[in-house]
Amino acid sequence: MIETFRQVLEQSVARLSAQATQFLPPLFVALVVFGVAWLVAILLRWLLLHAFKGERFDAFLRKTGIGTMLDHSGRLRASPLLAHGIYYAILLIGLLNAISVFETEITREIVDGVVHLLPKLFAAAAIILAGVWLAQYLGRGALLWASNEGFSWARRFCAFVRVVVVFVAIVVAADVLNFARTVFFSAFLIFTIGAVCAACLVLALNHREVYRWFAGSRSPGAEEQDERSLWRHL
Amino acid sequence: MSQDILPAEARQAIEKLGRADIVIGIPSYNNGRTIGHVVRAAQAGLNKHFPEFRGVIVNSDGGSKDDTRKQVLEAQLDPSQLLLVNTPLNPVHRLSFPYHGIPGKGSAFRMIFQMARDLGAKACAVVDSDLRSITPEWFDLLLRPVLHRGYDFVAHYYHRHKYDGTITNSIIYPLTRALYGYRIRQPIGGDFGMSLPVVETYLKRTDWETDVARYGIDIWMTTIAVASGFKVCQSFLGAKLHDAKDPGADLSAMLQQVVGSVFSLMIEFKDVWMRIQGSRDIELFGFRYDVGLDPIAVNLDRMIQAFLRGESDLREIWSLALSDRTLRQLAALAAAARTSPAEQFRLSDELWVNIIFELASAYAELPAARAHLVRSLTPLYLGRVASFVNETRDMNASEVEDRIEQLCLMFERLKPFLVERWGGPRVDDYIPQPAPASGHTQEVPS
Repeated sequence: MIETFRQVLEQSVARLSAQATQFLPPLFVALVVFGVAWLVAILLRWLLLHAFKGERFDAFLRKTGIGTMLDHSGRLRASPLLAHGIYYAILLIGLLNAISVFETEITREIVDGVVHLLPKLFAAAAIILAGVWLAQYLGRGALLWASNEGFSWARRFCAFVRVVVVFVAIVVAADVLNFARTVFFSAFLIFTIGAVCAACLVLALNHREVYRWFAGSRSPGAEEQDERSLWRHL
Repeated sequence: MSQDILPAEARQAIEKLGRADIVIGIPSYNNGRTIGHVVRAAQAGLNKHFPEFRGVIVNSDGGSKDDTRKQVLEAQLDPSQLLLVNTPLNPVHRLSFPYHGIPGKGSAFRMIFQMARDLGAKACAVVDSDLRSITPEWFDLLLRPVLHRGYDFVAHYYHRHKYDGTITNSIIYPLTRALYGYRIRQPIGGDFGMSLPVVETYLKRTDWETDVARYGIDIWMTTIAVASGFKVCQSFLGAKLHDAKDPGADLSAMLQQVVGSVFSLMIEFKDVWMRIQGSRDIELFGFRYDVGLDPIAVNLDRMIQAFLRGESDLREIWSLALSDRTLRQLAALAAAARTSPAEQFRLSDELWVNIIFELASAYAELPAARAHLVRSLTPLYLGRVASFVNETRDMNASEVEDRIEQLCLMFERLKPFLVERWGGPRVDDYIPQPAPASGHTQEVPS
């Protein structure tokens, strides 16, 4: 009994020792690689935060409205954005290099997967960002039109426009990532066709009521086009 | 070198005429009912006041569906009724061509200016085609300062009902005056006289296919004339009675084009207006007299409702341009308006000037949001007009003019804050320079 126990223990220790001798050096190397990458990332982040002004990029963020879109306070600046972006990029590169030190099947698959996915991830992120910007722009246009025309549902209309545009961006991004593309595309088709059919049905069956609702949703006095047209603003 | 936009028939007419001393331009679109009167007045004006000059009347038409062009070409004038002292030495030619490009008054003017330049005209006048109160004397007053007094740009000065021209009175006149230092009372009056150098300056520009092509043209012409250092004056032409302006016109689009043009030119002429503080009168020609004016009905409730709707819907867009302080003041104003009678609604001069200055600054800062910013001005403008109506309800014309003067002074007083926002010296360090005399050459950015 004791002999058996001793043998099992010795075998376990031997196996652990073999694994340790096999994996410890790569693990140590991996930790060193990641540590060096981390130090480089910190150093570069510090340098960029202190040396890079990025005034033109700041102006671009401000002028396009991307700055306020990402950070409502409008205090988003190029140097921290770039510094943090490079910091995490170097950390990721360091992590991938550290993993690849082990040279096993699974680590190779992880590294290959990430390397292949990264460009698609960037493309999808850019599509989502552009979609959100466009949704904001078109939503504001819709809001202004509806509000200036005197419609009481201006904000709801603005929200609807934004949701539709962001939804389209998500469908396209999912397609780029090859992630549940059929699900998103089907949902989009169902949503669009459903909305069009519902609108047609409502118009066909209740066009008079719809017109009354449309006219009634304008604020009192907004229909006074004659009075407005006689007003010589200029 | 400017782009040639003349149709072939206009080019042929220029070759046939050779040259002209005076070109009178009349833009039109479906003005068959009134344009005949304007053409006759122009012809009479040329015969009576400029018999020694070769005059051409050019109608630039935007594709009228009625008989506008026929009316121009067939307008008859009986010279015996004019009691002419001098027999005209030259016949007055009448031409009518369709213009090409973006439909609008600006595109029509572009063709007229090109004809004036190619004919080598010494002076050019443009008048609206829907005028009912136009007389031959208008052309004397618009052209003589150019031909005989050395002025380059003559603006129309006329009496208007106190509720007429509210964009002019609340934004364009005070802002243009505060920026460029000249008291041109009707900078978007629509009828102007100008010299050949001014016409050539306009034609050299490349922004014809922007808002300038439509409602923005009047303020564009005035601003370029004053900012480029041309000698400017005004002529008193009595009252301006015309057809209802652009029935069904979208106020929001109108504001966008006019105010957008002012703000765009502010960016271009930043180096000119930032140096100027205060304003000065400019020469006013013509004999001033009082006239009866068409009454104008206003709907106070509609305007206040539009303001309140904007306050609740458009805060997101306003917050791009307006400071927290201004937004808080607007919120307080809206809260008070919801509980008080419409007659008590007041939007103070200071708040209004801050709104305009902050919007102008944001317009320069945020190119991607320009159209939204200017369109979001509509409810604020209607609120300001409602306040103006309340304040001037019992005032006569002279008192109303004093009230507008107060607003202008507020624009001038707060201008240093605008200059600071645009990257100029801080308010405390600002050294004002008086507005230069008209015609004084200013350094214009190329």
